[in-house]
Parts: sequence; C-alpha cells; structure tokens
Amino acid sequence: MNIIELDDVWKVYKMGEVEVPALRGLSMKVKPGEFLAVMGPSGSGKSTAMNMIGCLDIPTKGRVLLEGQNISSLSERELSRIRGKKIGFVFQSHNLYPTLNALENVQLPMRIHELREEDIWDRSEELLELVGLSKRGRHYPSQLSGGQSQRVAIARALSTDPSLILADEPTGNLDTEAGKEVLDIFSKLNARGVTVVMITHDEKIAARANQIVRMVDGKLAA
Amino acid sequence: MRLLDIFLLSLSHVRKSRMRSWLTIVGVIIGVASVVAIISIGQGMQENVQQRLGSFGADIITVIPGYFRATGVHSEMHTDRSVSTSSSINLTDKDIKVIKQVPGVMYVNGLVSGKADLKYDNEKTVVSVTGVDTSIWRLMDTTGIDDGRYLQAGDSNSIVVGYNLAHGTFLQSMTLNRPITIGNKNFRVVGILKQSGGFGGGSDTGIYMPADLARDVITEKVSNNQFTSVVIKASDASLVEYIKADIEQKLMSSRQVNPRTKDFTVIASALIREQMSSVTETLSLFLSAIAAVSLIVGAIGIANTMFMSVMERTKQIGLLKAIGAGEQEIMKLFLIESGIFGFVGGIIGVIFGAAISLLIPYLGIQALGIGGDMRATITTGTILFALFFSLVIGILSGIIPARHAAKLRPVDAIRYDQ
Ligand SMILES: Nc1ncnc2c1ncn2[C@@H]1O[C@H](COP(=O)(O)OP(=O)(O)OP(=O)(O)O)[C@@H](O)[C@H]1O
Ligand SMILES: [Mg+2]
Repeated sequence: MNIIELDDVWKVYKMGEVEVPALRGLSMKVKPGEFLAVMGPSGSGKSTAMNMIGCLDIPTKGRVLLEGQNISSLSERELSRIRGKKIGFVFQSHNLYPTLNALENVQLPMRIHELREEDIWDRSEELLELVGLSKRGRHYPSQLSGGQSQRVAIARALSTDPSLILADEPTGNLDTEAGKEVLDIFSKLNARGVTVVMITHDEKIAARANQIVRMVDGKLAA
Repeated sequence: MRLLDIFLLSLSHVRKSRMRSWLTIVGVIIGVASVVAIISIGQGMQENVQQRLGSFGADIITVIPGYFRATGVHSEMHTDRSVSTSSSINLTDKDIKVIKQVPGVMYVNGLVSGKADLKYDNEKTVVSVTGVDTSIWRLMDTTGIDDGRYLQAGDSNSIVVGYNLAHGTFLQSMTLNRPITIGNKNFRVVGILKQSGGFGGGSDTGIYMPADLARDVITEKVSNNQFTSVVIKASDASLVEYIKADIEQKLMSSRQVNPRTKDFTVIASALIREQMSSVTETLSLFLSAIAAVSLIVGAIGIANTMFMSVMERTKQIGLLKAIGAGEQEIMKLFLIESGIFGFVGGIIGVIFGAAISLLIPYLGIQALGIGGDMRATITTGTILFALFFSLVIGILSGIIPARHAAKLRPVDAIRYDQ
C-alpha cells in the first residue's frame, strides 16, 4: 500500500474576493522505502503540497489517503494523533522548541504520545547519538548551529518511529558542508527503510534522492 | 500528553521570559496583597467593635428617659449620664413594676447615675456614680469582682469601685476598706471590679453604691422613687427584640403617652451590636471592593502577557500541533501558564498582605472613630480564599488567549512569517 496518495487534489486559497489556486489537481503517490525529492519553481505549490502530504491541511477538492485512509473522514484530533505518530516533520527553519534543550526537543513528540518514561529517555539519547549530537543534549536551540538544529529536528522527527519523514527545504539555511551532513542522515535513514520526502530548490541536493518529481503551477510537470 | 509534561513545558516558558513573568506576577502580588491586607484589617476592625460592645451582653435591655428617634450608638454610650433633653422626666418605681410584669423579663435594675465629687488621700476628682439595686446588681453584673465582694442588701456606706479607678487614677491604689469621701459622705470600699475593657470603659472608672445613697451624693437631682435608667436582663437573648417591643408597649400605656409624645427610649444592646457590625461589614466590603480593582488590573496583566505569548508562539503552537498535540493540550499549556502566574502571585501576595496586616498595629493608626488601636486578623480562611481566588483569576484570564492559541491551524501557525 502507498504511504501517501494524493488523488486530484485542489487547494484554493481565498483572499477576500480573489481565489488563489495553489494546487490544481495534483496527483502523486509515495511508496514505502522511497527517497523522493519534490522540485519546482517558487510559487509552484510545493509547500502547499507538503501540507497535504503531511496532513497539516485539508484539500479544497480531491482525496488525500494516508495508508489508504481518507483524511477528510477524520476529526482534527484524530488527524493530529495520526500525524504525530506516522509522519516526522523537518521544517525549513524555526524547527526546535526554543524553551527546551536538544534532548527535551527530541523527547517532545514521545511525551505528547505518552510513551513510557524509560523508553522516552532511551530513545532520545539513542537518536541524538544517531545524528551525532549526543554531547549537545543539554544545549538550547539558541546555543546550537543551524546544521546542529536541523539534525536535532531530524532526531525529533524520528522519535515516534514514523513511516514517513517529510522535509521542506531542510538544507535551505545551511552551507554546503552542513547540508551534506543532513543529507547523509537522510540517506542513512532511507537505507534503514524509512521513507523520505524532501522539498528542495537545489538540483545537486535533489540528486541524492532516488526519485525526483517536478511541480509546475500546482501539479506535476508532464 | 501527561499533565506533568504539560506543566513542565509551561514552566519552561515562564522561566525563559523571566522578566516578563515577574512583571506579570508583580501585578497579581499587588492585587492579592491589598485584598488580603484589607480583608484582615476589616476583620480586625469588626472583632474590635464586637469585643468592645460585647461587655453589654446580648440579653440586656435598657430604658432611659427621653425619646431618641435615632437609637444609634450615641445614646447607648451615654446611658450613665442623665440624658439631657428631658432629664426632668425620670423613670419611677411604677415603671419598674410595669417592666417586671413583662413576660420574659428576668431581672430589673433601677439605676441612679450621675456625677459626684470624690476625695481620696487628699486627691480630688469627679467620678461617675451608679446607684444600683443591691440585690439585683450582683446577679446582672458581667464584669466580675476582682477583690472583696458585691454590694449587699443593708449596706449603708459601702461602695464597689471600677478597676481603673482603683488602680491608676490616684497616686495610691485603692484597697479594700479604704475610706473615701463622695459628695461629703464617707464611704468604705468593699469590692473592686475586674477590668472590663468595655465600650467607653464605664464600669472601669465608675463607682457603684446602693441607689438610695447615690441620690444623696450625685450633683444631679433625682427624687426618691426615681431612676435615671432601668436595666433589664431578658431570660433569653433570642427574645430580646420581642421583649423590647413589649416593654415599649406596656410603658406607653402606663405612662399614658402615644408614639408621638413618647418620653422614654428602650434600647437593646444586641440590636445595636448588629447595627454596628453591619456598618463595619459594609465598610470592609467597600474597601475590599476597592482592593479587588487592583486584582482585576493584575488579571488584565496576565491576559495581556498571555496574548503576547500566544502571538509570539504561533510557530511553536503549529509545531506542537504538527507533532501530534491536540487543542486540549494547547489549551492546558496556556491555562497552566496563566495559572502559574496567578498562583505564584497569590502566594507572594498573601505573604506581603499578611506582613502589611501584621505591621498595622505598630503604625498605631486609630480605628475610624471607634477608638482603640487598629489591628488586623489574618485567618486561614482569608489565606485560602486569596490563593484559590488568584489561581482562578490566573486561569480565567488565560482562557481567551488559550482558546485563541488552541484554534490556530497547524498550517497557518507554521507558515507564519516564513
Ligand atoms: N495561506 C495562503 N493564503 C493565500 N495564498 C497562499 C497561501 N499559501 C500559499 N499561497 C499561494 O499559493 C501558491 C503556492 O504557494 P507555495 O507556498 O505552495 O509555493 P512553493 O512552491 O512552496 O514556493 P517556494 O519555493 O517559494 O516556497 C503561491 O502563489 C502562494 O501565494
Ligand atoms: Mg515553500
């Protein structure tokens, strides 16, 4: 089964009288184990598409199926739960919770989902180790570099053991070296069977994925 | 999310913006401290009044000549003086007989009060003398004997003196059996009363003697069979109001007066006490209301801070929602935070309020015209009320901002200023 399937998805933003169609019948599938890069010019609807894939928003028209289940049949609360369990987000910036240190940030989703205290600690330390930041656990976001923050965000995205990692320009704010470290982690995760969907402007970065789709005007380029 | 974890998350925000948190809390502290101080002062004031009025006894009814439309505190305070307006119309034996027949009346004591010159140990002064019915007085007195005995039937030149008159008025303290001259007559002290500390200190500075003797020594003229006031003890304090009305009725018909020409006044201390405490109650309620305003200002401060942090935290709220937090959890997060402001402010405010209340007696402020020192009474009730109230205020002022935060959609929250 596909992890995520978008079927003729439309998203129209209403700005007063004006209607802005951000997605115009986007259809795409994300299969388990994929490392997918989504590319496209600015304003082509990539972020909007990511909101749909990540179940952060509901389409104006069309269907979004998360592991075969139509998300519009779910309540906001159910959606929030499922989203938290099945999808790990890495945003472009302001990823971390500023009043919590790195370790607590990684623990946050597990606390939301009320995992066992022991597991929370074991897993958060394990994940920081995985992204190479076990020595930075007590650092607050303001005390971390951009690349380190992004790696903490990845560790956090992995904490609930999601089937899908969704990243919107995860390297957008990073220099080449830091960006490469982040991509290395994605490759490593993908090699372990985690599905990764990554939005990017950069051809070189997209090349690290094993599949690329391109968007134009709110749908996939033919 | 577990409540403890939400609490810790709230706490992380409170700690992160320390300055703002403290300023918000200071607003609450001021409000709570003033409410606690004012409630405590109000309670102290009420106790003060109660204590001072307490020596009169709830079951005592007094009849004085002359009619006062406004039976306020004033007439009560001066029953031992002959009442000015119509002092010629004194109460008589006949009135006492009438009163004795009123059901529910236990004792009736006809008093002859006035001023008299006193000479003791070569010192002279003017004292207030109360002539009493010796057989009744001992049964009705609530002050108690400190030394010696009460007056007895057959006492011819014996007096009982108030505590403060015996100790402290003259260079040489009065002791039992000391000779004293009052209005050119010689007397012997047979008893000294305990200190009553009562309203106006009447019994503490007065002299008590048989009524017949009092008529001879006081400067005011009171003929035989006449009294300047009659004090009545009711068999049951709860009946005082009815007995009072009954006495009034019976006296009016025996004295052949109607409500317009009425020439006497019946006073029940209990009713006056009620009036007094309702006055002080109203006063402290009024002051509390003023203090409550500063509490409201504190609450607005919390709401303001909460709104600001909701604005600033749109992104974090979106993040929490993206990683699985629901509306409930966001609500709780903000409510706990505002609750912390309220509660911490409440605790510190109570401490400050209590400190202010405790300092009051040292400031020596005179209670508002009531006499005696102002003091404050802090009760656990007040403290618990203040803590509970500040917590509730904190949570209430967080509700609107918290709802606002909870309703944010994750997409909107995340894309904010991106
Ligand atoms: N909340 C919104 N309200 C109104 N219009 C919106 C909203 N979000 C997006 N849009 C519009 O939808 C279109 C697609 O936006 P989107 O953010 O998906 O583009 P993008 O491909 O992510 O661009 P970029 O590469 O610059 O991030 C744009 O024209 C944008 O103006
Ligand atoms: Mg975008």
